[in-house]
Amino acid sequence: MPVFQELIHDVQGQAINVCSMFLLLSSFAIVAQRSLASCVSLYAMQSFFLGFTAMVVANASGVHHLYFAAALNFLIKAWLIPRILHRAVDRLNVKREVEPLVNIPSSLLICGGLMILALYFSQPIKQIGPLLTNDSLALGLAIVFIGCFIMISRRKLVTQIVGFLTVENGLFLLATAITYGMPLIVELGVFFDILVAALIFGVLLHRIQDTVESARPAESRFEEVGEVAP
Amino acid sequence: MFGNICLIFLQMVVILGVSPFVVGLIRKVKAWLQCRKGPSVFQPYADLRKIFCKEAVIPSTTSWIFTITPYILFGSTLAAGLLVPAFFADMPLGFAGNIIALVYLLALGTFFLILAGLDAGSAFGGMGSSREALVASVTEPAMILSIFAIGLTAGSTNLNTIVHRTALFQGVTTDPAPHLLALGALFIVALAETGRVPVDNPATHLELTMIHEAMILDYSGRYLALVEWAASMKLLVFLSLLVNIFAPWGIAVEATAGAMTLGLVAYLVKVSALAVVIGILECTVAKLRLFRLSELLGAAFILALLAVIFFYMFRG
Repeated sequence: MPVFQELIHDVQGQAINVCSMFLLLSSFAIVAQRSLASCVSLYAMQSFFLGFTAMVVANASGVHHLYFAAALNFLIKAWLIPRILHRAVDRLNVKREVEPLVNIPSSLLICGGLMILALYFSQPIKQIGPLLTNDSLALGLAIVFIGCFIMISRRKLVTQIVGFLTVENGLFLLATAITYGMPLIVELGVFFDILVAALIFGVLLHRIQDTVESARPAESRFEEVGEVAP
Repeated sequence: MFGNICLIFLQMVVILGVSPFVVGLIRKVKAWLQCRKGPSVFQPYADLRKIFCKEAVIPSTTSWIFTITPYILFGSTLAAGLLVPAFFADMPLGFAGNIIALVYLLALGTFFLILAGLDAGSAFGGMGSSREALVASVTEPAMILSIFAIGLTAGSTNLNTIVHRTALFQGVTTDPAPHLLALGALFIVALAETGRVPVDNPATHLELTMIHEAMILDYSGRYLALVEWAASMKLLVFLSLLVNIFAPWGIAVEATAGAMTLGLVAYLVKVSALAVVIGILECTVAKLRLFRLSELLGAAFILALLAVIFFYMFRG
């Protein structure tokens, strides 16, 4: 482990820092975004940076199954799930904007506050062991918080789904930060779960579109449908 | 001593001389992208000469603030320009003020311009002033916070030190993340402060949408020329700040003629490149609605805030 400590100021440490910066920025961009399609594209970008971070961590730590997890990340989360969601958005034919409950500058400020909170919470854990990915701990926690905030503060079902997927990305980053990834079998299970969840969301959105005109859980007659999403 | 005075004089000549060129270059790039031929890059010089020769008309309703504002604006912007290292990393005036002084020198000019816009008592002037006040007050927190982030990574708020550290690869290479975030924030702030497209359209003649132009509607003759020149200098000051804080490579670190020439060439190339980027941006982005401005500037504030947080995270 002390070897990793030396690496922190090395190229790999910096690469992880910059990657996780872009990861966090794309979460903030989802909060700031008004159109549903760009929300989904930003989620794809976020997953892409997550896969890249996992690759750098795999390279730096020598935990080779992380490469596999990163590849699955690129395939499923950066390509397949955004594709499903894009098709759902196209089908829904949503012209209206995201409809946040809190206006966008305030949401951004709240997310900034959540970031500070995450940093504060992760301080005691950070002191336990010197890891290469120490800083990703706070970032992962912040992304989980931001994802929860997206789910709470948006009316549209698609944005709530993106919020849920953001939470999952944050958890993946947390797992990478704390233990250099979970055992491969667990990760496979998680990826499969996420894929199935996204498929169900897609089907669900189509069904809602067929049954009622709007896909807004707060207004539709199927209120329980909205609550299934998270 | 004599050398220092020469340096200050040279910097003054560069700031005064290059600033109309930058404005002309941005216009030319926009013209090219719109498939027009566009006026020459040196057109702003001719415009300035023409306006200087014209008679100045002063509205009868105005007070002394109206006549003194162009001089204050021009003077404070030029002073700010002398604080920014342009082609030489050790400006002799560096002792006189740091990056915070620079921000408030520019704010002084803005403040007086707002007063002058109100002074004539015309409806458009007042509208422009109130909008400028809105933009200025929302950009300030973002700007100061991004400057703090830069100051923290460089360990100093003195511009000479910041540029030196970055030019000699001490600081950026150890934390690129806060630096990149602060760059994003400062770029948005620069667009807002100099009245470029997502915030204000410098080419517009529609009074209902303009901000900067609405404030200076009542100026004419040499007053107008000074205000216009100061506006282009402000743009150049922001461009120099961006290129020299975040990519100062090529800047003269020691006071030899060869290094200075190289620094000058590198400076011109970098500033022109950034001006081309702004020109392209102005062609691809639409002007934001006034009430959406707070979203863009709020994003700049968040970027700057994240830069500061990242600094503490990676260092702490």
